[in-house]
Amino acid sequence: MALLAVENLVKDFGGLRANDDISFTLEKGELLGLIGPNGAGKTTLFNCIAGKHPVTAGRIVFDDEDITALKAPEVARRGLARTFQVYAAAGDLTVRENVMVGCFMRTASRRKARERADAILEDLNLTAAAPQYVSELPVAAQKQVTMATALGTRPKLLLLDEVAAGLNPGEIEEIMASIRHIHHDLGVTVILIEHVMELVMRTSDRVIVIDSGRKIAEGLPDEVARDPQVIKAYLGDRYVQEAGGGEAHP
Amino acid sequence: MEALKNAFDFSDQPRLDLTIAGALALFLLIFPLLPVSAFALATMIQFFIFSLYGMGWNTIGGYGGQVDLGKAQYVGIGAYTTAVLLIRWDIPFWFSMPIGVLLAVSWSFIIGYPLFRLSGHYFAIATIATSLVLKDLFEVWDFVGAARGLEISPIAYQPPDYLRLIFKEDIYYYYVLFAFFLVGILYLNWFRKSRLGFQLRAIKDNEDVARSLGINVHWAKIKTYAIATGYVSVVGSFHACYIKAIEPEDTMSLDISILIALMAMLGGAGSLWGPIIGAGILIPLKSYLKEWLGGMAGLAGMDLILYAVIIMLISAKEPRGVWGIVERWRRRKRS
Repeated sequence: MALLAVENLVKDFGGLRANDDISFTLEKGELLGLIGPNGAGKTTLFNCIAGKHPVTAGRIVFDDEDITALKAPEVARRGLARTFQVYAAAGDLTVRENVMVGCFMRTASRRKARERADAILEDLNLTAAAPQYVSELPVAAQKQVTMATALGTRPKLLLLDEVAAGLNPGEIEEIMASIRHIHHDLGVTVILIEHVMELVMRTSDRVIVIDSGRKIAEGLPDEVARDPQVIKAYLGDRYVQEAGGGEAHP
Repeated sequence: MEALKNAFDFSDQPRLDLTIAGALALFLLIFPLLPVSAFALATMIQFFIFSLYGMGWNTIGGYGGQVDLGKAQYVGIGAYTTAVLLIRWDIPFWFSMPIGVLLAVSWSFIIGYPLFRLSGHYFAIATIATSLVLKDLFEVWDFVGAARGLEISPIAYQPPDYLRLIFKEDIYYYYVLFAFFLVGILYLNWFRKSRLGFQLRAIKDNEDVARSLGINVHWAKIKTYAIATGYVSVVGSFHACYIKAIEPEDTMSLDISILIALMAMLGGAGSLWGPIIGAGILIPLKSYLKEWLGGMAGLAGMDLILYAVIIMLISAKEPRGVWGIVERWRRRKRS
């Protein structure tokens, strides 16, 4: 049974159709990459799944339950956590306090929340930063903190929205290591939105490509990278012919 | 049990702060025994009163970032409940105070539910409006004495009446209020470390992120608003017994609401000691300014000008008040 099934999801903002008839399923334990050019509707899709936006049409089933009509806090309590693209973490709270906010979803006890937060921070090599204010940390560490906070809610599925955006190659390696650790060792199913194609291709089990609100391709990273429609979406018409003509790389 | 332990646990505070707080607590404990004037004692009682108002405001306004300018309506509900129950049915303070809290909290749910659908300035304006409406209602409501208000006659009781909280000397009131003050600090200390406290700080920072962490933002605000209301209502009840003559104008006026918010903001919204610092600065200033300027009719509005200057300075220089300056200085020293 699939952990998440999105069926014919449509999302309109006024006259703009941001998500158009998107369907896919996600198995437990998968790491799914979600890619597409700017403005393709990736974040909107996340927002719909996570209950931030009400959907216009379609159905979302998570863990055998229809969550289409649920609001964000209710979705979160069912084990679906997410991070935000632009937002880092609460700057007014220390790193430990931030993660504790997540942990408080599952317990009312301050002691338990704190213990769990410390365990997560240690696991992600953030212990040294625990007493610091998030606003004092470099961007890469802030992104790690948002992931740690989301983990505090004990999610079955974690939606990561461009956690690598704005980071340098070294930092990207670090954050990818964290994501692999969360997926592989902690057993959390992950959907990864990423702009950096190469990063998604290297990490994901499977990739879905969205363009102008529609799903245009789905498959193994290698297959998707050779798909003419994907090349067209990313690079324009001209490159499709070249790729079709047997070029080594698009 | 864990909650009680957390209330007494100040271990995350710097040792210097705790030493200063301890010394000040000791000073406040012996203050009435020192050779001080009646005026100084009355000023100190006002300091306690506004510290407690400020602590209450601080939960929703400071930690939650919801600027509430309608706290006076709950002062009124507390004060009137205690006065009416005492005058009409001779129900003593210790029973009327919880009833007042119950009424105030019920009222806070009724108006909090729609009000927290609003955000930012709209919320602030709406709280002013509800408070003014309630005040106007009390001014025409004969059962509670309308605009004339109510008077608790001290002759009817035999002071010191501990049950009804009717005393002749201020020193009794001082110590009752001092006890409330300490309990208020302990409660706030628990609150800021509780689940609700954490949730509220997350809400203040970013509501969408708070929702994604399973927090019911609307309900968390309403609950905290009720806590803030509880603080204010208890002190309102006390106010009735202390002042003994209450009327809508001096319990529910906009001035009081603004003063409550102003003190907490001046001291440092969203910090444990902020409201106390704010009241500690502003109350003596206000009292003595009034005393000095009392004879000079032309300068009667000076205190209002002073408040305006303070508001402008806070918003321009350091939105987190005096405590914000301390924190900033500490952070700089650390790094």
